[in-house]
Amino acid sequence: MKRRALWSTALIAPLALYGCGSAAGPDSGSGGDGGTLVVWDWKSGDATATSYVEAAKADFAAKHPDVEVEFVAQPFDQYYNLLGTAIQSGEGPDVMLFNGGGQLRERTDALLPLEDYLAEDMDRLAGWEAFSADGHVYAAPVTLQGHPIYYNKALYTEAGLDPEAPAATWDDFLADCAQIEEATGANCFALGNKEGIGIQFFLSGMGPGVLSPEEYDAWIAGDRDWTSPDVKRVFEMWVEAEQAGLNNDGVNSTAMFNDEFAIFDAGDAAHVIGLMSDVGHWKDFAEFIGPENVGVMPAPLANPVADPSLPYDGGIGYGVAEWTEDPELAADLVRSLSSTAALEAFYADAGAIAADTTIDASSSGPATAAIVDQLQTGKPALHVALSAETLELMGRLSQQLLSGSVTVDDALAQLAESDQAG
Amino acid sequence: MPTATTDSPVRTALRTGPVTPRRRARSGRGAAGRSRAERLAPYVLVAPAALIIAVFRLYPLGLGVNFSFTGDGDRNGQAVGLDNYAALFEDPLFLASMKNVGLLVLLLPVAVAIPGLLATFIYLRVPGHRVYRSVYFFPAVLSPVIIGAIFNLLLAFDGPANALLGTVGLGPVDWLGDPDIAMYAVVGVHIWATFGMALVVFLAGFATLDASLIDAARVDGASLPRVVRHVIVPGLSRTIQFVVVTTMIGMLTSMFGLLYVMTGGGPEGSTYLPEYYIWFQQGQMGRPALASAASTVLFCVMLVVGLAQIAVLRRAGRED
Repeated sequence: MKRRALWSTALIAPLALYGCGSAAGPDSGSGGDGGTLVVWDWKSGDATATSYVEAAKADFAAKHPDVEVEFVAQPFDQYYNLLGTAIQSGEGPDVMLFNGGGQLRERTDALLPLEDYLAEDMDRLAGWEAFSADGHVYAAPVTLQGHPIYYNKALYTEAGLDPEAPAATWDDFLADCAQIEEATGANCFALGNKEGIGIQFFLSGMGPGVLSPEEYDAWIAGDRDWTSPDVKRVFEMWVEAEQAGLNNDGVNSTAMFNDEFAIFDAGDAAHVIGLMSDVGHWKDFAEFIGPENVGVMPAPLANPVADPSLPYDGGIGYGVAEWTEDPELAADLVRSLSSTAALEAFYADAGAIAADTTIDASSSGPATAAIVDQLQTGKPALHVALSAETLELMGRLSQQLLSGSVTVDDALAQLAESDQAG
Repeated sequence: MPTATTDSPVRTALRTGPVTPRRRARSGRGAAGRSRAERLAPYVLVAPAALIIAVFRLYPLGLGVNFSFTGDGDRNGQAVGLDNYAALFEDPLFLASMKNVGLLVLLLPVAVAIPGLLATFIYLRVPGHRVYRSVYFFPAVLSPVIIGAIFNLLLAFDGPANALLGTVGLGPVDWLGDPDIAMYAVVGVHIWATFGMALVVFLAGFATLDASLIDAARVDGASLPRVVRHVIVPGLSRTIQFVVVTTMIGMLTSMFGLLYVMTGGGPEGSTYLPEYYIWFQQGQMGRPALASAASTVLFCVMLVVGLAQIAVLRRAGRED
């Protein structure tokens, strides 16, 4: 009896231990060894990205036929949590997808500088700024992400305005909005700030019409003066727009993704500061209001010396983990993932403005053409220069600004403190 | 320490087993070997459970606490002392989340009273009580994500809840967009979603209630509130304590899904709970060490709450 108990204990204990430890499955997502490269992203599982992944794999297979590439598609809302855990343990994918800006810059410790491997691609691709930190490049851009101000030409026509000549100044813009609201009942802006992202789009979308070119460049370069009257003006406009009733109701409880864009799609608002790639962009809007009705306008001038340009950055891009065994091999995979053939497939299927400037995008309607035209003169978006902490704080403060529980001056002081600490 | 002469539970269990095979085993081997095996047996039997707890619970817990004394980002891996804890208690978001824990404790009586009251009505056989019994339990089988999505639609600014208010002439309420209201809205939805389970526990408690006491009270002419106050509540004291404990645990540990879907911690950071804060700092802000510090604080809070609850349950047991 006792012996049997001992035996079963001896048998069961390892089983129990194995059962506890095996939840992750053997070798799932671990670093590549013996000719396998593991890629983490949140795109490769989408049907619209299939042709892109195939094209990139084919490009890579031509260079390294004996190396296998494994794509692990993670859910986007958990992506940075999972990546954080992988980084913490110092093992994980060899190549990983990043959003440009803060998300990448916070994790450069875990990434390999790639400028030496990607030298040949520097001219062909645009949007490097968002994937660079401290003079190093940490990822190659795949798409460009920006914040054009879209408007509904049909509503302009209905209100008796010229749809091809949107307002050039903030005052004219307000007048146009009043006219549109009176004639059509539509709001001026579709805005959802439940996640606190609305302010980011507003800052980047409207900022170019307020900040002087010098101040804009200084902001991007990291020299940000939160006490300047121009910066203050942008946040005052944020409050003004709400108080003047330009926004839809319940901004703080409306989700940007996708309730805000649904309001614009439904023709219930005349303007929306949207995206260039992925969602909330020209392709989505065109499906609802027709490609001929999607207009793109430069930021209205609220400061005569401002010189509005299209705010955009590298949207998503692939970087290489510093723990990868063969950095050159992984960097080659990154090059394949941003090759012209792959990016062309991405642009055509997923509705993204690809980072490759050699792709011809003129066939996708006037809005796309307008965006692509402005890529040459475009500048990095204002909010992308901010740290994740400051952006989070700005999201909360923007909600407080709308509800009136904080003043613009107080909000700016808090933001300045957070920005300087980061 | 259990020895061959003490009555350890394991030995007792062995002794109560069938006698014959044991005798046979004894006759086959020497007394010394037998007593050593007998001494070791309890340890060996307990070892797997103890090992699992030590390796998969206590060790990671120790690692986590240790990790909370290291830095994030540039200071990754360096010992930073209590910096993370200092940062936590300066962070308005974390303080807001702790304040919300306090709010949950304050709202606990409401969360217990609602199922208690409804169970009383069912017990007293109000018309249609059978239908209500199943209807009340229904939300308990829905996942928080689905419930959150449903209430996102219902409580939207231009949603049905405000439309209803509009028909009776009341202004619209920004249920999930007003920082003074959002937390109550989420807690309200959580109570709606989970009270069915507490209701079932209450009904089980009622089943043990002595009906003759209530009859006696009625014969004596006691009104309904007096019956509830002086007969039902004392008779159900242990059930109420149990529901209080489980409801508190539920509120502290299973609101993440609802918060994630309904408010995302907003507006203005007013609906943060420690759990959500930990997830946010770890994943979204890339500050795992700070998240560990927050986890350690939450662990301490839960420890205090848990010990208090054990004390309450023990006292209830003794009263029995």
